[in-house]
Amino acid sequence: MTDGRPARVWGLVAAQAARRGGPVSAADACVAAVAAVEVTGAWLIAARGAEAGHLMRVTDHASELLAELQMTLGEGPGPDAAASGGPVLASDLDEKEAVRRWPAFAPAACQAGAAAIFAFPLQLGAIRTGVMGLYRVRSGPLSAFHLGDALTFADTATLLLLDGQDQPAHAAGSAGAGPGGRPADLIRHRAEIDQATGMLTEQLGVGIAEAFIRLRAYAYAHDRGLSDLARDIVARHLRLSPDPDPRKDAQT
Amino acid sequence: MDGELLSDTFVELTDTMVVGFDVIDFMHMLTDRSVQLLDVSAAGLLLADPRGELRVVAASSEAARLLELFQIQNDEGPCLECFRSGQPVQVADLAAVAHRWPQFAPAAGRAGFAAVQALPMRLREQVIGALNLFRAAPGAFDPADIRVGQALADVATISLLQERNMRHSDTLNEQLQTALNSRVIIEQAKGKLAERLGLDMDQAFSLLRESARTHNRRLSDLAQAFVDGTDALAGLNASGSQARQPAPRPPRRPGP
Repeated sequence: MTDGRPARVWGLVAAQAARRGGPVSAADACVAAVAAVEVTGAWLIAARGAEAGHLMRVTDHASELLAELQMTLGEGPGPDAAASGGPVLASDLDEKEAVRRWPAFAPAACQAGAAAIFAFPLQLGAIRTGVMGLYRVRSGPLSAFHLGDALTFADTATLLLLDGQDQPAHAAGSAGAGPGGRPADLIRHRAEIDQATGMLTEQLGVGIAEAFIRLRAYAYAHDRGLSDLARDIVARHLRLSPDPDPRKDAQT
Repeated sequence: MDGELLSDTFVELTDTMVVGFDVIDFMHMLTDRSVQLLDVSAAGLLLADPRGELRVVAASSEAARLLELFQIQNDEGPCLECFRSGQPVQVADLAAVAHRWPQFAPAAGRAGFAAVQALPMRLREQVIGALNLFRAAPGAFDPADIRVGQALADVATISLLQERNMRHSDTLNEQLQTALNSRVIIEQAKGKLAERLGLDMDQAFSLLRESARTHNRRLSDLAQAFVDGTDALAGLNASGSQARQPAPRPPRRPGP
């Protein structure tokens, strides 16, 4: 059942947050992915746009080492995933191709105990929020089922990072209730949502990530479906206006 | 079928694949050329997302794109059957088999299509998508058209394996995800350009494709730079003649 995947993954992430005792965060997606995808450990780097970002969560010592090695060396599946905009699936780090591609990192990663690394960019089109890395002590590809799950955990982490639910100031126990509540809409998204997001960058004079946040916030505040709202924007039945800024109003 | 157009098309496609190219742009080219070469009115291309659903990655027209989307959303139709079985599905007269697809058949009729030929995109045992050909008039598809259509579908499959050898399913999945994300970037860029210049989405897309070709850049790179604001796409404007002209073809290989 493919329809159930986003909801099932969301359930696993929310359960992890509940165990931890905090609002749902991208870090919970990283932790929950380890058991669900049957890997040894994971790390999550949060970044805005093309900047280097910071290590937000690791699940064990080896994943911390692997994340830091890649950040220090500037090479590895993680940096490649961030640069290419697609996942980098290195199912055997001991293999010639992996060593040729990452001459410094591949041997160091094997030394650290990783036989396979799967790196997923946390992105939605041009919106980039970081990278999630998974490692396993045993080599071999992810099964099709686990790959689908890993991508869905990455989607969920992307939305949670955009929702900014990771800021302590926002910890008002609203797990799952905010505009990002049900990440399922990302999977079901359509071209109209992406087009509307692009249009909002112009209407609101903001970057693409902010435009998407505002689109979702509007849908949430007006209790409308994201696709439905996006269609109205694309059809030019609705325009959003920049937040009224009293200081600006006063000046002009 | 126009033999010269056919050979031109394959030279163009293989030329494009020799150098770094954009998979989404390439797949759009395939759907456009399908309509020019074959006796069909529209074409659409679906790819399987490893998350477990099909996505529309290219279509020769908005009507074809919406009809592909309709099948995915309603979970019925010849293109889905083709994808699931891995076998071609031909429907010479949709109205005659409306009972088979009670939602799709009328939707196709409303979109102006009476016949459909769905062709699988296969890689060894795996089915990764489908190329779907729609025609306004009912009637059987020409077997020669079907052969060429299948060859175009096969080229689309191969285009996903660009650059690296195919020893792993890893490579295919990486390319597939990158292509699907490119599709999203391009839609975001279309929205931004459409809003800026007061265009509809098709015009914005033509303008982006044309600009990528003129400047010899990959469509998704250009789209990303435009959305990020690092490339203002200077010189593009709605009133210019650019938007109305078809995208120029890439340079031909020098003749013998």
